[in-house]
Amino acid sequence: MRTVSAAEAAPTTYPWAVHAQELQVRAGRHLAVDGLDLTLGTGVHGLLGPNGAGKTTLMRALATVVRPAGGRLTVLGEAVDGRADLRLVRRGLGYLPQQFGFYPRFTVREFVEYLAWLKEMPKATVPGAVQRAIDRVGLTDRAGARMKTLSGGMLRRAGIAQAIVNDPAVLLLDEPTVGLDPEQRLDFRELLRDVGVDSCVLVSTHLVEDVVAACTDVIVMNEGRLVHQGAVDELIAQGGDGDAGDSPAERGYSALLRRHRAGAAR
Amino acid sequence: MSRVLRIELRRSAALGTALILLVIGTISLYFAEGIEFASGWMQLAMSQRLYLALLWPLALAAGAWQSSREHRSKVGELFASTPRPRAHRMVPTLGAMAIAVVCGYLAMGIAGGLWIIGTARYFPVSVFVVTAVGALALIAAAWLGQAIGRLLPSLVTAPALGVAGLALLLLIPGATRPRGWLALVFSPIYEMNMPGAYATVPGRASLSQAIWLAALATTAVLLLASGGWRLRVAAVLPVVLGATLAIAIMPRDNRYVTDAVDQAAMALVCADDEPRVCVSRVHSGLLADVTSPARQGLTILAKLPGAPTQVHEDTTTYPDVYPVWHDDVALVRIVTGESVTAADVVSAAFQTPPQCDRPTASADSLAAAYWLIGTQPVASDSPDLAEAVARWEALRAAPAAEAQAQVVALRTAALTCTTDSNILSRSAR
Repeated sequence: MRTVSAAEAAPTTYPWAVHAQELQVRAGRHLAVDGLDLTLGTGVHGLLGPNGAGKTTLMRALATVVRPAGGRLTVLGEAVDGRADLRLVRRGLGYLPQQFGFYPRFTVREFVEYLAWLKEMPKATVPGAVQRAIDRVGLTDRAGARMKTLSGGMLRRAGIAQAIVNDPAVLLLDEPTVGLDPEQRLDFRELLRDVGVDSCVLVSTHLVEDVVAACTDVIVMNEGRLVHQGAVDELIAQGGDGDAGDSPAERGYSALLRRHRAGAAR
Repeated sequence: MSRVLRIELRRSAALGTALILLVIGTISLYFAEGIEFASGWMQLAMSQRLYLALLWPLALAAGAWQSSREHRSKVGELFASTPRPRAHRMVPTLGAMAIAVVCGYLAMGIAGGLWIIGTARYFPVSVFVVTAVGALALIAAAWLGQAIGRLLPSLVTAPALGVAGLALLLLIPGATRPRGWLALVFSPIYEMNMPGAYATVPGRASLSQAIWLAALATTAVLLLASGGWRLRVAAVLPVVLGATLAIAIMPRDNRYVTDAVDQAAMALVCADDEPRVCVSRVHSGLLADVTSPARQGLTILAKLPGAPTQVHEDTTTYPDVYPVWHDDVALVRIVTGESVTAADVVSAAFQTPPQCDRPTASADSLAAAYWLIGTQPVASDSPDLAEAVARWEALRAAPAAEAQAQVVALRTAALTCTTDSNILSRSAR
């Protein structure tokens, strides 16, 4: 249970939570995202792609950490460019970076609360929201533990807790399942489905199985461009018996990449 | 905000900083030079200021260390995606560090106060002012450390700043010589060493220092909040303005603080009943201890015609502040921790008024005093003891009337400022 403000309950004035047109984003000097067109609405979107495909750079651009080098990017109806006041957009964001930095001396509860403060949540809602976020990632009994005492999997879950504490309209999770054991991954998928009911969730991962189990649709990237966007079933339909992979979804993924690379080489 | 401040107080460098300041500060107070603040609260406040020589660089380093936390913990990526501006983000840590250094400094004052709480009665308001300027100096140091630590996020920044801060404080007096007043503006420790019993820090000096330190702190905050070079350049403005104003306010006197005398601290406080025994207000806690030996001394002196009938504290202050002279008052120096004896009072009767060129030889006054007391001189700390004993023996060997005449002559010579060397030895020969 939580209180919903009038602003939150109001209908949105934009069709897509995330809308990218011809998006270009640099990682250093290299254009890691180059001419990407993407629209994301409510639901859980799995972001797949080989290493170096530009997944993390895209995540960083959506998190408003790096400015686009070209094209247009709109998040929650606000244009993300050099001049924009990103404060409103950022209040609606949740972000778990690939390299999750944290204050080791803080307890889990303190760190999540600190992030809630950084996200400018209304003061009165913070304690409840913090507890709820910690409960949802299953860290209730470790809430009082210092961050530095947590195992890798627990840290990842603490990272997810801080990302969801403000009930973000756009939740960006960059490889959230690294370090989670099989049981925790099952719980995490459950959480994703739950959050995806009324938010736009983008999960970057190498684990095709996670996408199949928890995502409503799949985005495949390669070399900074969109290769495929569609429902999980469509991904599975792409694969044949001859493609590499141990599951239909993995075979679909390899088939998509193989065809895209062949197309690019031509 | 208050919840986050509470988190920062617990989890940032604040707690450790307060403890370090308390421990280093207290050790310095008690062991660096011996107890130099025994006389009272003002001396304690000034000694605390002196040991800012160590605490100020420590606060600078602590600020830099605290400021490197974001860099060390690699939270930049995550925090960059949050809406709260970085200036806001700095507020709880600024608050936590300020609370920490102030608490550490005040706790050090309490630790020092335990030593003097039994004897120190006089508590002028300026003690608060001197302490507040010290606390402000630490806040400015911690914040400046945070600002520099943010601009130079490296593990060596904190220790390097500590060393640089110490060097700065030690170099300021040399760099500004012969304009000592300039050092007084910029260094919170300048002229705080070895405060006398009636020492004080004039309000104008404190005001000037407070303006400078507040300006420094403001610049530090602007540097911390700054996102671009424009605000960083603008941050220089407060420090320049503050320095100008502080320099304008500070009087152009060298030894402005060292020579300052607190008249209220020097004013006499007297015991009830006769004969009158008075000490300065700053020593009023010692009055009960002084009164009894002082009256004993006056009783012994009563054998001498025209002998003093009162004992006052000798409030002579270097270089040229003297108590008003009365022939019937014996002036005795009073130092907290050193007891006054009847013999001190008796020999004080043979001292010249302070303005005389030639003071009475200590061998003479000791010999005369102990002749009156009737025992051999035992002033163990006097280098002239052997000579005093010889003159005392000569007095004792002489017929009583002649000895009395010599002692009376010594006192007369003292009062009339006509002592030439060794009145007693000459007549004894």
